[in-house]
Amino acid sequence: MKPLRILATMLLAAAPAAAQDSPAAQQPTDFKGVVLKNKAPVSNDVLRVTFRRPFEGKLKNGMELMVLEEHRSPTIQVEIAVPASTMYDPEGVPISAAMTSLMRLGTKSRDAKTIAETLAGLGAQITFNVGDRYAYARFSTLSENLDAVLELTSDMLFNSTFPEDELAKWKNQQLSVLQQARAQPEFLATERFAQAMYPEDRRSYLLPTPEGVGRITRAMVLDQYAKVYRPERGRVTVLGDVTAKDIAPKLEKLMASWTGKGSAPPDLPLPTATKGRRIILVNRPGSVQTAFYIGNHAIDRLSPDYIPVQVLNRVLGGGPASRLFRNIREEKGYTYGISSGFSATRYFNHFASQTSVRTEVTADALREILKEFADIRTTPVPADELQNAKRALVAGFALGTENPAAALGNATQIKEYGLPLDYWDTYPEKVAAVTAADVQRVAQKYIPVDDIVIVAVGDAARIRAPLATFGTLEEWDAEGKRVAN
Amino acid sequence: MMPRGVATVLAVALLTAAAGAQTASPVRPIQFSDTRLANGLRVIISEDHFAPVYAIAVSYSVGSKDERPGRTGFAHLFEHMMFKGSDNIGPGEHFFLVFNNGGSMNGTTNTDRTLYYEVMPRNQLDLGLFLESDRMRSLAITKENLDNQRQAVQEERRLRLDNQPYGKSAERFNELAYDNPAYHHSVIGSMEDLNAATVEDVAGFFRTYYAPNNAVVAIVGDVDTKDTLTRVEKYFGNIPRQPSPAPVDLAEPEMKAERRETMQDRLARLPQINIGYKIPPATHADFPALSALGQILGNGESSRLYQRLVKTQELCANIGSGSTQRLGPGLFNITCAVRPGKNIADAEAAITDEIARLQTAAVTSEELQRIRSSARRGSVSIRESTLARAQSLADNAAVYNDPNRINTNAQKIAAVTAADVQRVAGRYLQTTNRVVVHTLPATAPAVAPPAPVAK
Repeated sequence: MKPLRILATMLLAAAPAAAQDSPAAQQPTDFKGVVLKNKAPVSNDVLRVTFRRPFEGKLKNGMELMVLEEHRSPTIQVEIAVPASTMYDPEGVPISAAMTSLMRLGTKSRDAKTIAETLAGLGAQITFNVGDRYAYARFSTLSENLDAVLELTSDMLFNSTFPEDELAKWKNQQLSVLQQARAQPEFLATERFAQAMYPEDRRSYLLPTPEGVGRITRAMVLDQYAKVYRPERGRVTVLGDVTAKDIAPKLEKLMASWTGKGSAPPDLPLPTATKGRRIILVNRPGSVQTAFYIGNHAIDRLSPDYIPVQVLNRVLGGGPASRLFRNIREEKGYTYGISSGFSATRYFNHFASQTSVRTEVTADALREILKEFADIRTTPVPADELQNAKRALVAGFALGTENPAAALGNATQIKEYGLPLDYWDTYPEKVAAVTAADVQRVAQKYIPVDDIVIVAVGDAARIRAPLATFGTLEEWDAEGKRVAN
Repeated sequence: MMPRGVATVLAVALLTAAAGAQTASPVRPIQFSDTRLANGLRVIISEDHFAPVYAIAVSYSVGSKDERPGRTGFAHLFEHMMFKGSDNIGPGEHFFLVFNNGGSMNGTTNTDRTLYYEVMPRNQLDLGLFLESDRMRSLAITKENLDNQRQAVQEERRLRLDNQPYGKSAERFNELAYDNPAYHHSVIGSMEDLNAATVEDVAGFFRTYYAPNNAVVAIVGDVDTKDTLTRVEKYFGNIPRQPSPAPVDLAEPEMKAERRETMQDRLARLPQINIGYKIPPATHADFPALSALGQILGNGESSRLYQRLVKTQELCANIGSGSTQRLGPGLFNITCAVRPGKNIADAEAAITDEIARLQTAAVTSEELQRIRSSARRGSVSIRESTLARAQSLADNAAVYNDPNRINTNAQKIAAVTAADVQRVAGRYLQTTNRVVVHTLPATAPAVAPPAPVAK
């Protein structure tokens, strides 16, 4: 076995303008929060890596098969994905989660305890879950236990009995899970932001409601199972210490009598940006920090602006070299951490920045964040800062090669979104082509200033007044109920 | 580097007892070179040419155990100072260079050591070595930098502790458990002590603890051992050694009676139980059996405490147990959140009963098999990350003077017997040897309804 299968070539960085070992070459930008002495030995080469492509084939039942062989360690991971969507769950009713949890809690020949003990004995994990567009069965095992884990997965996938008493216990436990989540300020902020972004449908529910949990019956779970795990138009991905030739017949055997068509994921409208400034205060008495979640709608994964937006975010809030971190944490000392990001999938299309700041500086921090949002729209990004962001995006690919799951994830994205087959091979060139004008254009389009949703979770008695200086507040409690106005 | 051994077919089959399991090939030991420069810096290099990246970890033998009274939190505050510049690196330039060149980095402090790391593309090897050596040689110690990072650290304390449910309970739990000041206080420290720290403290700490003879550099990844060692010598070789810091006495007096306390927590929604039994250091012969015991009692859905308290009796929302690995005395911890409407005393009684049952219901061969499978998974997964290996090698050398613990730990846990587990349970899990903290959700003081908002 040859461990290194990555093609690595050295390229000169696209533009040498930002060469950090030639300090006199240009007037350097003043990077807020950082002093650059430019004395460290930096290699100007950008290590260019090509992600390996998985073997692709088809199983007899029509499912696609992707296998990325990797013999570095004796482990194998398998993911079976079939069309389904949690977006069909009634609002607040976690029927998909109930079904997938119960699949691990009893089969015709094994009870929940036996399943847990068998998995621990094998050192394996088997999980089921339903996402936006697929229902998944996943397992991870030591190579030598592949057959045993396949048998167990098959048992849970096809012979689950969904025991009534396990359902009752699961429902009870969920009520505690909901309580624990509501104690977390970050959860409360994210929940209220999701409600503001996607008020019309299931996307607004990060967690179910206690009433929704209470409504679930065994009959509902059985009905859900009858609809969901169906192989047609599904896909199996395999990563690790096994060849396609060895795994394919085992998978064929596992799925020999599996037929049927699952539900195609729904078409959900992607909302457009909320108009005006909406300030949402969630009261969490006793808080010593304010947790912010600030943003608005932006792009989905198929937007032609996807790549310029990656560069934009790297400049604004992607990592500790970004403006938000350098200003709000390093220069101002308001926070331990701050970042921003774009959620760009088929169903989610928002931009948001999140941070927690001490209660006393709630207004100051918000003012600075809004100022950074405004600045990147009005002033073109300087050449060296732009070059840094582009270089970071491309050079960072090398780190991804250490985790073969990243290569498989890239290949899956190509399929999911119908991207060109050479999408990742040409990614460095696409990033290199982004200009300061591009960044400014997408900033003006997607970084919110006047039309913006600001969620602040903290002790209302202490932050109500400072927040009110930014506009009209609406107030909620930690149970998710509107309490004022 | 040393030649890699060819996999031998005669090795111990670790997994034969599992139903349907095939014979497992043994995990080969991780190979590494281990060198000391003339100035005392220990250098460990482990080649792995799987991906064009390398990880560098620098572990200093200093942690919160070394803080003097009135300066709790200082080792961690100091860690933040290490990103504020040195002779050839400006404040903040460290992370600026690493992230803009496609790398990642961080620092982390615990009771026993302070660790810094970078993971970068292989062509940036000199950059990583330069960054780490420049700050070891010439940290910029200014009041401005100190005040700046004092704020960041205080925000970190708020984020992780003061604004979190159970945050203060965790801090109080440690204070109750340890009498010796070394482990008595939290790593993050008190706000008061953080405010009291001065630049003179920083300078003294730097001189004493951030010397090459008090540090280990581990480099793992797509590098050549000989060439890398030459470069390490070039960058670090002329940093002067310092007198070795005096070892801190970590010994704890034996506990004579159970200690318990109840905390009120305004941010918590469910009651919580923290139980800690005093146990010996990670290097003690009983430690592998204590690790195994932690898994049998409270690791995952197959564990005894989960089955009884979460599944059967439905007293707890979740439960876990495990042993803290420390240079000095550790704790065997059990933590659970009690469900709404359930009695915290009932939950604690069930835990205590399950511990007593260890003496009558012997550990089964199936339970031992789970320990061995978990150890094997751990050994395998550390091979999948250059960073995990670099951190483990550096920490095991800096804290325990034994980098090869990366290979021997899992073997020792896999060799534990049922009698070992029963013996250590009987020896350490005694009521007189434990600390118990209950946290109860506090009812908020009555507040007036929000006033109507202007505008």
